[in-house]
Amino acid sequence: MKSVVKKIGNIFRNFGESVAKGNLWVKLSLIIMGAGYLGVGQVAKAVLMTVVEAVFVLYMLLVGVPYLSKFGTLGTVQYKSEFNFATMKNEVNNYDHSFMILLFGVITIILIVAFLCIYIANMIYVYKLQKRKEQGIVINSFKKDLRSLFNERFHITILALPVMGVVVFTIVPLIIMIAVAFTNYDQNHMPPAALFTWTGVENFKNLITTSTTITFGYSFGKVIVWTFVWAFFATFTTYFGGILMAKFINNPKTKVQKLWRTLFVVTIAVPQFVSLLLVRYFFANTGIVNTICSQIGVTDFLTKIGLVREGLGYIPFLSSPGWAHFMIIMINIWVGVPYQMLIATGVLMNIPNDLMESAKIDGASSFQIFKSITMPYMLFVTGPSLITQFIGNINNFNVIYLLTQDVYKTTDQLLANSSAKEVDLLVTWLFRLTSEQYNYKMASVIGCVVFVICAIFTLIAFRRMTAGDKEESFQ
Amino acid sequence: MKKKLLAVLMATALVATALTGCGDKKPQDGGNNGGGSASDPVEALIASTDGPVTLSVWAAEEDQDMVKGWCDAFAAQYPEVTFNFSVGVQSESTAKDTILTDPEAAADVYSFAGDQLQDLVRAGALQPVVIHTDEVIARVGGADSGAAQAATVNGTLYAYPATADNGYFMFYNKEYFTEEDVKTLDTMMKIAADNGKKITMQYDSGWYNLSFFIGAGFELTLNEDGTNNCNWNGTSADGIAGVDVAQAMLDIATNPGFVSLTDAEFVTGIKEGSIIAGVNGTWNATAAAEAWGDNYAATCLPTYTCAGKQVQMASVAGYKMFGVNAYTANSGWAMLLAEYFTDEAQQIQRFELREAGPANVAAASSPAVQANPAIAALALQSQYAILDGCESSNYWSPTESFGAILAGGNADGTSLQTLLDNMVDGITQ
Amino acid sequence: MMKKVVKPIIRHLVLALLAVIWLIPIVWLLATSFSSYQGINISHFFPEKFTFNNYLMLFGAADTVAQFPRWFMNTFVIAIFTCIISTCFVLMVAYATSCMRFKARKPLMNVGIILGMFPGVLSMIAVYFVLKSIGLTNSHFGMVLVYSAGSGLGYLIAKGFFDTIPVSLREAAKLEGASEATIFTKIVIPLSGPIIVYTVISSFLSPWMDFVYAKLILNSGISTDWTVAIGLYNMLDRSLINTYFSRFCAGGVLVSIPISALFVIMQKFYVEGVTGGSVKG
Repeated sequence: MKSVVKKIGNIFRNFGESVAKGNLWVKLSLIIMGAGYLGVGQVAKAVLMTVVEAVFVLYMLLVGVPYLSKFGTLGTVQYKSEFNFATMKNEVNNYDHSFMILLFGVITIILIVAFLCIYIANMIYVYKLQKRKEQGIVINSFKKDLRSLFNERFHITILALPVMGVVVFTIVPLIIMIAVAFTNYDQNHMPPAALFTWTGVENFKNLITTSTTITFGYSFGKVIVWTFVWAFFATFTTYFGGILMAKFINNPKTKVQKLWRTLFVVTIAVPQFVSLLLVRYFFANTGIVNTICSQIGVTDFLTKIGLVREGLGYIPFLSSPGWAHFMIIMINIWVGVPYQMLIATGVLMNIPNDLMESAKIDGASSFQIFKSITMPYMLFVTGPSLITQFIGNINNFNVIYLLTQDVYKTTDQLLANSSAKEVDLLVTWLFRLTSEQYNYKMASVIGCVVFVICAIFTLIAFRRMTAGDKEESFQ
Repeated sequence: MKKKLLAVLMATALVATALTGCGDKKPQDGGNNGGGSASDPVEALIASTDGPVTLSVWAAEEDQDMVKGWCDAFAAQYPEVTFNFSVGVQSESTAKDTILTDPEAAADVYSFAGDQLQDLVRAGALQPVVIHTDEVIARVGGADSGAAQAATVNGTLYAYPATADNGYFMFYNKEYFTEEDVKTLDTMMKIAADNGKKITMQYDSGWYNLSFFIGAGFELTLNEDGTNNCNWNGTSADGIAGVDVAQAMLDIATNPGFVSLTDAEFVTGIKEGSIIAGVNGTWNATAAAEAWGDNYAATCLPTYTCAGKQVQMASVAGYKMFGVNAYTANSGWAMLLAEYFTDEAQQIQRFELREAGPANVAAASSPAVQANPAIAALALQSQYAILDGCESSNYWSPTESFGAILAGGNADGTSLQTLLDNMVDGITQ
Repeated sequence: MMKKVVKPIIRHLVLALLAVIWLIPIVWLLATSFSSYQGINISHFFPEKFTFNNYLMLFGAADTVAQFPRWFMNTFVIAIFTCIISTCFVLMVAYATSCMRFKARKPLMNVGIILGMFPGVLSMIAVYFVLKSIGLTNSHFGMVLVYSAGSGLGYLIAKGFFDTIPVSLREAAKLEGASEATIFTKIVIPLSGPIIVYTVISSFLSPWMDFVYAKLILNSGISTDWTVAIGLYNMLDRSLINTYFSRFCAGGVLVSIPISALFVIMQKFYVEGVTGGSVKG
């Protein structure tokens, strides 16, 4: 932490030094960014920097300042539209669009920060050039500078586009989501017809409040518990299921291994939105499985031992709390085990054979070998991906949404009052809050929680990964 | 709060008169047709148009070909104007979900189910009807008619009623029931149970299960800020306690002759033969007629037993409508197009193709429409129906859960009063 | 003696039982796709009458609900461009983080990993408005951007692979005067066949699977613009399911065919991908 502060301090000291000690050209760069380069005779660079500056100033004047000036209130002019009988068209006033103000406000702030960085770096750099010239060191020509972008500074070239993509389509939306959590953006405040504005931490308070009118606190507790229970079971059942299946198929006593493997892999070739939706109808209350179960007496049997409520007449596979939780995990095994089996097969094949042989000579049973050689090796190789999968399951939108949407009706009224269900994960709850209730503010608060959870687990995972970082050792 | 109220007032300031709930919201005749222009709006429109007019339309999947034909016919009426139409698919029951995400991206003219009107108006997604307002109102039976009221918010007409069939009634199989049998639910359930069959209604949907409460004289009204008033946990105007209604619903749900099924399951059930009667709407009339053949019949909802009394089940009188997007660039032409879509001839065509009950009075009185059993049943039921559009966005989830609990026989044994209180808390939040 | 015969039989019986469980829903999908009954048949597992009609209707009798050939083409085009951009991005980021050393490398990698874990559903409304403000909603190019713009965050697997390429190779090239760009294109890329195949296929598949973003961004209602996923998903709408379910199944089967083909190819590289290239055969 300290070193970061120090580094930033250094940058500003260098900047100050450049301004104070620079010659006229360097000082002029404070206003016209290209000036410093003219001083050392680099015309191309001078033009380039000045154009960058001009574009930025133009953007600020035309877009940045107008939006940024409304950023504090997110707009004050209400949308008004009146039909004009002379033109037979609607006449709309010059209204404020809160979401666009938020969006462009965020973009403008990012651009300003980026520009300031370039600006400061530019000052320091032109001062360096000045010193070089004074000392008589050769200054790189523009052509040489360009060429360096394909050599020692190649990383800038290849990172530019990917980083830009991430900034525009991941970071900006992320910042906006976090910002919306501090506003009252919901169905009563939807632009363009209405404005929304900042409300501070009220939504965060609501998320942990349970009262007669707000049941988010209750729902949040229930949903987050199920999210973790689900992530735990989904990750470990498929992980160990996959290893066991791989062991079973790869055993030399098993004939036609390839055929077996292919049979299981067929299930993952069907896209999830097809296979999961299909399974949803397969296990519907009036679905084919229920028909068969009641024909062969399974339903009656389950009713007798109390697993199905008296008088229901069908097995509520995906429509009652306990059953649905169980079935979702089972169906996830169906979807997930073949993947894990493939991976485990690959990893198992690479266990050094001499290890196994010597263990066998020492008289170890096959279970002992599995416990003390196979599993540790598996965990060593696939450990980091296990944590990645755990996070993936916390956010496993597809399985939960496709299996339960429109089918599962909650019977917990407090959950219902905040549009949650027993089988919801944080992400599916969030999705339905936005797409059915337009409750963007609460959805964003939940989004923030998800983000924090993801970040914490990722950091844990990454520390493990760097601990076993092999990047240097191999090279 | 005050600021919000002010905002709502300003948005609807055009003709804001009495801000009342569902029951009383007649459109003002000619309230906004003045504008000072005595000339014919169509001529004014043609005169003010230069260059091609681009209009997009959203209609249900099943109506695509029909609506495309209408677009061409509409264009043929105005040879002096070039039109570019694009017709997109948007299911009427979920139109709101797509439109509210981004009203500016929605089609210029779109079709939707009437229960979404309030939300669409509040989101500013609907253009008030300002051309031919009086004619549109007159065609559906005047300002007092259900159709006109259902398309009106705070005295302003916002949409063009296209069908008057978005409600529900009772389908039954004459093989099992006589006309006398279908008057009470008790008799129906007994006959079904005796035959090892079931009758059905969807419990876990607020749209259906309000039938019991409204029938018992309870109210559901909408405040101007979009929240609901609901007294179902108290005592109704008819002196019936909410707990009694809930108990009656529970008794029905646990009756061996009854099962709660969704729409799609209802169709499967009648095709397969296990369902011999059910509460549903005209959209499944064809399926029922195919499955039951000559035994197909429909009538109004029966009475149910509530605290020893027979109470008539109510329903929702729903309309499907065409609306004009408030953000369209060609509001004039869009209004004329929506008006054309809902003209008498188009409504009759829609009835012939889809068995959709017309909202247009002239179309509805045609012999063919009158002879249709489903539409006749709907007309019979309409005396017990309340207007659609009283439901706030917080209404659906609590009532769905309440219905699901009762359909499941109230397995936890929670007191019915608690269930009602929780539901009302949720609805009115 | 008995034991020797019985044990393998039990082993194979267990496998067969598992395989049956795994395949039942798939068989149902196939069977229903050939059913002459258009809705969900709840009384019979296998249809009473088989027909090829569902497939013929998907290709021949396209209506607004079922525009299968168009959807297939749309998805294919989106997938091709997505996979080109994604693969380039992934390889570029992986090379920069694995083979080059610069000041911001570690912080960039940390931030990248955290952002990479972030599910797209969370910020979809913001993404929609970002796209809208540059006028790319309802365009397939916009879809390509959404699918590929953030793909650089998935660099970790490819980086793990690049880490295993001996550094001596690059050193030698540098001594001969090769620039980083040359090393990247002439040495590292040709050596990373498996990881390229893995990246190409996995990014090619994503447009076939996604229905959330596709539904949000292609919101004009014009069904010829849709992708396979939204098109098929739409067939299960309340008002359509009773007439389109068997066609939905037929569509599902058709989509699965190219995907399974790719999957079989990818299988070999998949393991390497997930375990970060640490497994070397």
